[in-house]
Amino acid sequence: MRLRFQRRWAVAVAVIAALALTLASAAGAASYIYWWQRNMTPSDRGADSVTARNHIYNELYFGPNAGWRSEVWEVTPAGYRHFDKWCAGNCFNAHPGYYYTYSYCANRDGGTHFVYDCRDQW
Amino acid sequence: MRKRHLQFGAAVLVAAATAGLLTQLGLGGSDKVQIGNGSVSALTHAVRTADALPQSVLDYPFAERNFASPNGGGARLLQLQGSLRLYAVPGKGGLLCLVEVDAVAETAGGACADRSTLRTGSIYMADLQEDGSRLVVGLVGDGHTYAEANGKRAPVQNNAFVLNHVQGGDLTVGSPTASQHVDIGG
Repeated sequence: MRLRFQRRWAVAVAVIAALALTLASAAGAASYIYWWQRNMTPSDRGADSVTARNHIYNELYFGPNAGWRSEVWEVTPAGYRHFDKWCAGNCFNAHPGYYYTYSYCANRDGGTHFVYDCRDQW
Repeated sequence: MRKRHLQFGAAVLVAAATAGLLTQLGLGGSDKVQIGNGSVSALTHAVRTADALPQSVLDYPFAERNFASPNGGGARLLQLQGSLRLYAVPGKGGLLCLVEVDAVAETAGGACADRSTLRTGSIYMADLQEDGSRLVVGLVGDGHTYAEANGKRAPVQNNAFVLNHVQGGDLTVGSPTASQHVDIGG
C-alpha cells in the first residue's frame, strides 16, 4: 500500500517537472518587437526599456535593401552598456544572458531610413 | 563675345570633369573610390563540412529574414582565429551577409548589406570590448588586400579581415593601388 502511494507521488512529481520544463522552455524563447515599421531619424532610437530582462538577442532589420550603418546595444538599469555592436546594414547580436538589461537599436547613418523592426529575446 | 562665352563654358566643363576624375582616383572624397566589382571569390570555393553554419545561427529570426536559403546554403567559412569563426552567407535579393560565431564566448552576430557596398568599402561588425576598444571584423570584395585602423594593419585573407583593439570609428580598407575610408560609427 505504501509503495503504491510512493509511486503516485513519483508520477505526480514527474508530471509537474515536465510541465515546469515546458513552460521554462517557452519562456526562454520569448521575443519582443520594440520598433515597428517606421522611419528612423539619426536622432531616434528604438528602446525596450520598460522592464530589465535577461536578454540573449537583439536585432535591427532595415529590410531587404539594407546598406546603412546601424547599432544594437543593451544597458543595465545602473547605466552600464553591454553587447554593443556597430554594423553595416541589418544587424544582430546573440549572447549569453549575463545581465539584466534594456535593449536599444539605432540607425547610425546621417539620414532617415525606414526600419522594419527591432526585436529582442530573453 | 559669344565665342568667349563658349570658351568659358568649355573651360568649366573640363574643370568639372577633371575634378570628378580626381575624386574617383582617390585624391579627394575617398568614399567614392571603387576597388573591384563586388565579387567575392571565397563564395565560389568548393564546399567543405566546415562551411556549414551552426544550427543556433539558423534558428535566429535574422537568418530567416536575411539569408537566401533557410539552411544557410552557399555559406563559406572565411576565417578561423582562435575560437572566432567568420562566414560569408548569400543573402536575399542583393544582400550579402557576414556572420561571426565565437564558440567559447557563446556569442554570434551578423550584418547583411547590399552587395554593392563591397565596391566602396566593407560589410563589417564592430563589437565593444571590456577595455572600451572595438573588435572589427569585415567582409571585402576581391581586390582588397588590407584593413587598417589606428596605424595597425591586418591582411585580407579569403575576403575577410580581423582588427583587434580599434579605437574610434575610422577604418581604411584598400588594395596596393587605392584605399577607401569606412566610417564604422561612433
